[in-house]
Amino acid sequence: MKVRNYLLFILMVAVFGWAKPVMAVPGPTDQLRVTLDKIVEVLRNKDLSQDAILDKVEVLVRSKFDFDAMSQRTLGINWKNATPKQRTRFIELFSQLLEDTYRLRIRNYTYQDERVEYIGEEVRGTRGQVDTLVIANKEIPVSYRVRLKGNEWLVYDVIVEEVSLISNYRSTYNEIIRQEGFDGLLKRLEEKVKELESAQNTSTVSVEGRRV
Amino acid sequence: MRRFMVFMLLVMLAGLLSGGQAFAADEQVVLPDAPAVDVNNAGQVELPAVELNSSEQNEPSTVVEESGEEVEPLTGAIAGEDDFTDEEDFTNGDIETLEVFDPIEPFNRGMFWFNDKLYFYLFKPIARGYRVVPEPARESVSNFFSNLGTPVRFANALLQLKMEDAGTELGRLVINSTLGIGGLFDPAKAWFDLEKKEEDFGQTLGNYGVGSGFYIVWPLLGPSNSRDTVGMVGDFFLDPLHYVEIKPVERIGLTTLDKETDLSLDKDTYESIQQEALDPYLFVRNAYEQYRDGKIKK
Repeated sequence: MKVRNYLLFILMVAVFGWAKPVMAVPGPTDQLRVTLDKIVEVLRNKDLSQDAILDKVEVLVRSKFDFDAMSQRTLGINWKNATPKQRTRFIELFSQLLEDTYRLRIRNYTYQDERVEYIGEEVRGTRGQVDTLVIANKEIPVSYRVRLKGNEWLVYDVIVEEVSLISNYRSTYNEIIRQEGFDGLLKRLEEKVKELESAQNTSTVSVEGRRV
Repeated sequence: MRRFMVFMLLVMLAGLLSGGQAFAADEQVVLPDAPAVDVNNAGQVELPAVELNSSEQNEPSTVVEESGEEVEPLTGAIAGEDDFTDEEDFTNGDIETLEVFDPIEPFNRGMFWFNDKLYFYLFKPIARGYRVVPEPARESVSNFFSNLGTPVRFANALLQLKMEDAGTELGRLVINSTLGIGGLFDPAKAWFDLEKKEEDFGQTLGNYGVGSGFYIVWPLLGPSNSRDTVGMVGDFFLDPLHYVEIKPVERIGLTTLDKETDLSLDKDTYESIQQEALDPYLFVRNAYEQYRDGKIKK
């Protein structure tokens, strides 16, 4: 009996041990590295116009960031209470907001030899976390929480200096929903998106004037 | 001035005590009048290994793990639309909601508004003008003040029994004060790979289980809470500038220089928040507490 169990164990190890490399998908770090490297490459490319840079980055970001999961997690308990229509609208607006946010950041960004160092990875089933350091004039720890969807590890949260982006959005949005209801949140998101978009169109004028 | 400081200290201690009580209540899960939060925490204590963030179970009462609620997968519009993994419920799991205790929100919002105006109309223009000075020079000013902050970091590493970190800070002080020409440069990091260990008294208190108390926005000093305010007062007396024969005005001047230097080196973080967040006050409040919790856990 014991021997049989033992053999069974060996067999299982052998099967899974062999099977794994065959069906293995690249780990989250490897996958993320490919995308982040491409983004850095685009940002570094001085020949590209700003719009070309933004378009290229957008494609890359969309391929690796799971806006649906981000939306769900941002709303948390309020996701369950929302109607399907509200959910769809929220995903739309929230994705738009995130996109406008990083578009604005990139517009106001000049590449300064930042580089990314991968310092750790943790995988648990279909969830994982990739820890990186962004090294510029100082080091900023940035971690990505990822989920496995099909063969792709998709980012659903970004943690900068211990501050989870989604957790931060969540606390604000929950508060707004509590006070103004779900439609109140949607309305405020709409306004913000409009504001950010007009800021983008005039960005080189108004934003530059305020910054420098 | 001294009397004022002592008074503030007492006020803050009173605040801490109330915060501390909430924390104590959280520890004894069976308290009859304990808030609903405890149920989650109790569940967690029994199954620590299951949680991705099991280390968070010893956190103060402010963190509410949502994982205790409704684990069944979502059957709404999203599920089934895509492949199977999308049936996974993403509304809960390893994300935690940080409930910040903010009983004086109207006051805090007032102070936030005040600081915002100060920032945009006073401090930021100064910092912008200051950017005329080449970055390496400002970097050195920043290093100099950072070196002066060693006693605070060293003492608090010691208080938390982080002997290695304390040793690192001591080594950094010696190297940077000598090779780094009085702290203007940071050869300890560049050549000896000795990274600065950010420690302060607020973190020390947090490390020993003191809850954050309530959130407070100080004029000029910005976001804080009762625990970290006590911490600030404690650290104030560990600042070498406190023991140098200088007038209070001069000390304020030096502190301003320190802050303005950091502001001039910063890449307009606050502007981005102001522009992008639906409610910048809530954004900063949550980010501050998350940031401090992260530091304490380190």
